[in-house]
Formats: sequence, structure tokens, C-alpha cells
Amino acid sequence: MTTEDIPRLSGEWMTPRRRFISALFGGRVDKIPAMTLSSVATLEGMEIADADFPEAHLDAEKMARLAATAHENLGLDTVMPVFHSQLEADALDADTWWGEKDNWPATKGHVLDDPDSFKIPPDYLERRSFKAVLGAIKLLRKRYPDVGIVGKVYGPWSVGFHLVGIENWLMGTITEPDKIRRYLEVLLPASMMSAHAQFEAGADAVMWADHANRELCSPETYRDFLLEMHQGVTEEMGGPSILHCCGETTDRIDYFAEAGWDCFHFESQVDPVKAKEIVRDRMSLFGNINNPTILFSGTYDDTYKACMEVLEAGIQGVAPEGSVPLGVKMEVLQALSDSARDYSNANRPDGRLVTFNPTK
Amino acid sequence: MAQLSDITNAVIRTEIEEFIDDPAEIERNVELFAKASAQMQEIAAALLEGDNDTVDQLTRIALDEGIEALEIMDDGLIAGMGIVGIKFRDGFIFVPEVLVCARAMKAGMAHIEPILAASGAEPAGTVIMGTVKGDLHDIGKNLCIMMLRGGGFIVIDLGVDTSPEEFLEAVAEHDAHVIGMSALLTTTMPNMAKTVEAFKDAGLREKVRFMVGGAPVTPEFAEDVGADGYGKDAMAAVELATKLAIEVRA
Ligand code: B1M
Repeated sequence: MTTEDIPRLSGEWMTPRRRFISALFGGRVDKIPAMTLSSVATLEGMEIADADFPEAHLDAEKMARLAATAHENLGLDTVMPVFHSQLEADALDADTWWGEKDNWPATKGHVLDDPDSFKIPPDYLERRSFKAVLGAIKLLRKRYPDVGIVGKVYGPWSVGFHLVGIENWLMGTITEPDKIRRYLEVLLPASMMSAHAQFEAGADAVMWADHANRELCSPETYRDFLLEMHQGVTEEMGGPSILHCCGETTDRIDYFAEAGWDCFHFESQVDPVKAKEIVRDRMSLFGNINNPTILFSGTYDDTYKACMEVLEAGIQGVAPEGSVPLGVKMEVLQALSDSARDYSNANRPDGRLVTFNPTK
Repeated sequence: MAQLSDITNAVIRTEIEEFIDDPAEIERNVELFAKASAQMQEIAAALLEGDNDTVDQLTRIALDEGIEALEIMDDGLIAGMGIVGIKFRDGFIFVPEVLVCARAMKAGMAHIEPILAASGAEPAGTVIMGTVKGDLHDIGKNLCIMMLRGGGFIVIDLGVDTSPEEFLEAVAEHDAHVIGMSALLTTTMPNMAKTVEAFKDAGLREKVRFMVGGAPVTPEFAEDVGADGYGKDAMAAVELATKLAIEVRA
């Protein structure tokens, strides 16, 4: 057999999992991945999977089935079973309202007012929220060995919102900064344990959410309270890391890159071209299709067009900006994988690897 | 016309110079502070610095000296909060700073409110505010409430996850005519329409005015749900509530 006889790879030859991981590190891909990084659970998906909210939050089997719709029905390269933001907070005794079929869960009351009284319960990782999520990740790993599995962790900043109350927390950054730092210190191990457990269960990457966006605080607040801590997190997380921070973050993306995240999942308020200019090749960018205007109120064509625009900016993967509204239609979400496929087909000059837009 | 130099307090002068760009807003603030006494300017300056202890102390001293509660509220606390609103709207300060200033405002209002209540002085209006059913986002709503209180309104805060029935009950209980609804989730925005419908069903729609807001809400959506106005931000909410309160009284 000569070299000429070896069949050439062309078109889509990577598994979704391999494609996702490669893109996460800014590597070679046969196709740009289209993903879910927060939730793409929808009312329609619940019908298909026969797995409704709120049961799907606490039942591993239902959670896994609902998460799988992302790949099975939408053709996305990843699945993501943590549809809510309560995983750690609930296991830390927050007062959780598990929501309804057509609404998400949330924390109703605040339980912590002294960092030094905080303790991680000995059975933390065995509590109901973890049982469901870790169980679902294991099921998904078994059922989808070739699909990317994304876990989700709320970092100490965002768990603090739940346990201490968001206003107490934000005001505390000015009135009692040492107390907030102490909270961050004592809450951090809970988030780290969550990340490690999700990796162990089979997640390929963990998305770490700490909401320090412009709608909530200044870039200096991120720098002074979180940057150094996040540098430690990215070193010790034990696997590929994706930072999620909602809202407008252009003025702090540079800090995010400095923190060592492998990838940043960003929202539609951020211009992808500008974001790319700031981060260059220090981390990958996944995002940022708008939820209310495009996915919820728009059509398949609107979404397809929005995806093409963000792909043109040269980012490494396309995904909704955050948890998609539950009323979004599957047909509209289908535009994510269709656009990634079409963009890749048009940018695969050697038939093998996608060329990213040169503006990147 | 008053000049910036007519304002005696250096902190207030710097705040206006550094943070207000719009000529009409500069003029309004310069007029306001130039006519305010040095003592009132000092209260406003302490509020702008988020110094609740000083606001508390200065308010008590002013009241002890016989200064009218209404003057302290208008020329000290509300005037200071006005600049806070502008700085937040224009991105010079962030939510934590607003919360700290609002805490200072509250420290002053704790002395003023009982006096005003006893004197029967007319507030700018009473507003019922709540985040709609199923929605637990409340930072935006709370900022609006702070600015509304800073604008002289009495605000009844129904908190988050507020059902149409709770809005109806609150209106009856507090004899209020302006209702503010906030929503941050596309899934909960339709509950604004449900509340408006509930008022129609109860035969009360004509007696009240609805204002709506929250990041995903648009003026078109406000119109679709039958609301009377849309507030883009907390400053806009105060302007809108003022307009609606006048309208409903007429
Ligand atoms: C009556 O008249 C008026 C007039 C003006 C009015 C008004 C009323 N109300 C507001 N305004 C106006 O004035 C204010 C001041 O200028 C402004 O208020 P805003 O509220 O717009 O602005 C605030 C000052 C700052 N902004 C905020 O406070 C919202 C910030 C973001 C980051 C946000 C936060 C903080 C939170 N969240 Co949530 N959260 C997001 C937000 C992302 C973003 N980009 O905004 C959003 C809103 N969240 C979202 C989601 C999906 C969720 N959240 C959830 C939970 C949370 C936290 C608990 C973590 C926290 C809320 C804490 C709290 N107590 O409020 C969950 C829902 C829980 C529930 N049932 O409510 C969960 C479902 C997440 C999950 N998967 O579980 C998204 C909604 C998507 C959609 N449109 O449907 C979201 C846009 C993020 C995203 N892109 O995915 C104006 O809009």
C-alpha cells in the first residue's frame, strides 16, 4: 500500500466529542461545533423525552433523557444536564423552589450571614441535586460515548448570591470586602468538589459560572475579588474549563483570559469580533446567540443568520448565550447545527480541516 | 441662571462636573443645588459617598435645628439620589455603589418618613411594585424602588413571584393607582398580560396605570400586554411613574 492508496479524511470525520474538545482548546476541527453549554431544555423537548420540569431536575434518568435531546433532536455536539442553577446551593441547604413545568427553579430565601458558620455537609455530594446530576452524567457517558458532555458548576461568587442574597453580596463588596473574601474562601471548596465530581462522573468539560458582569459590578470588582481565585481554579479544576459570565463583559474579558480559562462562553451583548481581538489565542470563545430576540421571538432564518455572523467573527463554537427560554421551538434551535455545518462546508478548502475566518 | 460656582459644596460641584454630560441635566442640578442650603448639600454629598452614618447624623441634626422634613428630603436626599441615578444610568457606577447610596438614603428617610406621615404631606404617589409570577430576579426592580423612593414616591414592594391576585389585593389595601411589574425571563413576561387581564376582569382596569420593565421587555411588548408605559431603566421608571400618577389623578 502506498501513501496514495490511503483513503483521505474529508467532510465530517471527527466525533462530536473530539470536535468539541479540540475546539475548546482552539485546535483543529473538521467542523465548527454547535453546542449547548447551559440549558437547551424546552417544553417541546420535555414532550419528546417524556421528562418534564420540575421532575427532570431531581431524577437522573429523566434529566439524562431531556439533556440528550440536544444531540438526538438538535444535532448538537454536546449535551448538558444541569438545567438549573441550584446544584451546589441546594446541597448547601438553600431554600430551593424547584419551579414548574414551564419555569425554572430558584432560591427563595437566604440562609447564610456569617462565613465562619459555613460548613460543607459531610453528605454534600450525595444530596438530591448531586444524585440527579452525577447520575445523569454517568448515564449520558454510557449512552453517548462519542458526544461531548458539559457539566455546570456555580462558583463561590454565584453560590454566594443564593446563600447570602445578591444585594447583601454586592453591597458587601464595598461595605465589608473582607467578609466577602472570606465567603469566597469558604465556599470555593464546595464548587471545586462539584467540578471534580462531575469530571469523575464522565463530563468532558465543566462550565464554571460566576456572574460578575457589567450589569452587576465593575471590572475592577472582578479583578479584586475573583481574578486570583479563578487562576487557582483553572489550575486545579482537573479538566477543561469554560467560564460563563452573563451579560456585557467586554470590559473584563481580558481579565478572564488572564485567569487561564480554556474557553469563555459569552452573551449577545458582547461583540464577537471585539471579544476575539481582546483574547486572541489565549482562550477559545463559544457563544452567543441571543435568547429573547433571536431564539425566542425570531425564526429559523433569523437564528441561522445570527449564527453565521458569529461564525464569521472567527469564534471557535456556536451556542445559545445562556439557558434558552423554555418556549423556544426545536425547529429554531436546529439552525445552530445547520449553520455550523454550512459554514464549515464553505470553509474547508482542503476537504479536511475548517479554516477559521482570517479576521480572528 | 445659577452657576456651578454658586454651589458651595465641593463634592457636589465635582460630581456634576465629572459625571453629568447632558446640558439640561446639568442646568437642572445646578439650579437645584445652588438654591439648597450648605447643610442640605452636605447631606447630599454624604449620600453620594454612601456614608450612611453621616447621613443619619446630619439628618437628625437638621431636624433638631428645626429644618423642615420636606426640605431635607427634597434638597438633600432626593437631590443626591438624582445624581446617583444619572451616574448609574450612564455607567459611571455599578449596582453595588447604588445599593450603598440607597442605604444612606434609607438612613435619612428613617427620620423623615414618620414626620411626613404624621403631617399628612402628599407623596408624589403610591406605587405597587413586584416581579411577576414565576420570576425571582429582583435587583432591577429593587433599584427602581430605590429611585422611586428617592423620587418621593411611597412604594409597596410585593417582592418576587407576584401573582395577579397579589397585585389586586395590594391595590385594594393601599389605595394605590400605579402598578409596576418587572420581568427578566421570557417565560414570565406573559404574566404581565395576565395581571392586566385580572384587573380588567375585576372591573378595575380604568382605575389604575401599569408600567412594565426588565431587560427582555420592550416598548412594543408593553403595548401588546396593554400596559400604560415602559421603563428602560430606573430613572425612566421614576419619570414614567410621575407621569402616570398625574394622569390617573386627573
Ligand atoms: C415597573 O417598571 C419597571 C421599569 C424599569 C425596570 C423594571 C420595572 N424592572 C427593571 N427595570 C429596568 O431598571 C433596572 C435598572 O436600570 C434594569 O433592571 P435589570 O433587571 O434589567 O438589570 C439589573 C439592574 C441587573 N441585571 C440583573 O439583575 C440580571 C442579571 C443576570 C446575570 C441574572 C441574574 C443576576 C440571576 N439569574 Co438569571 N440572570 C440573567 C441576567 C443576565 C443579563 N444579561 O442581564 C438572566 C435574566 N437570567 C436568565 C436565566 C435563564 C435564569 N436566571 C436565573 C437565576 C438567576 C440568579 C438567581 C443567579 C440571579 C438573580 C438574583 C436576583 N435576586 O435577582 C434562573 C431563573 C430563576 C427564576 N425562576 O427566576 C435561570 C433560568 C437560570 C437557570 N438555568 O436556572 C436569562 C433569561 C433568559 C430569558 N430572557 O428568558 C438571563 C438573561 C441570563 C441568560 N442570558 O441566560 C432595567 O431593566
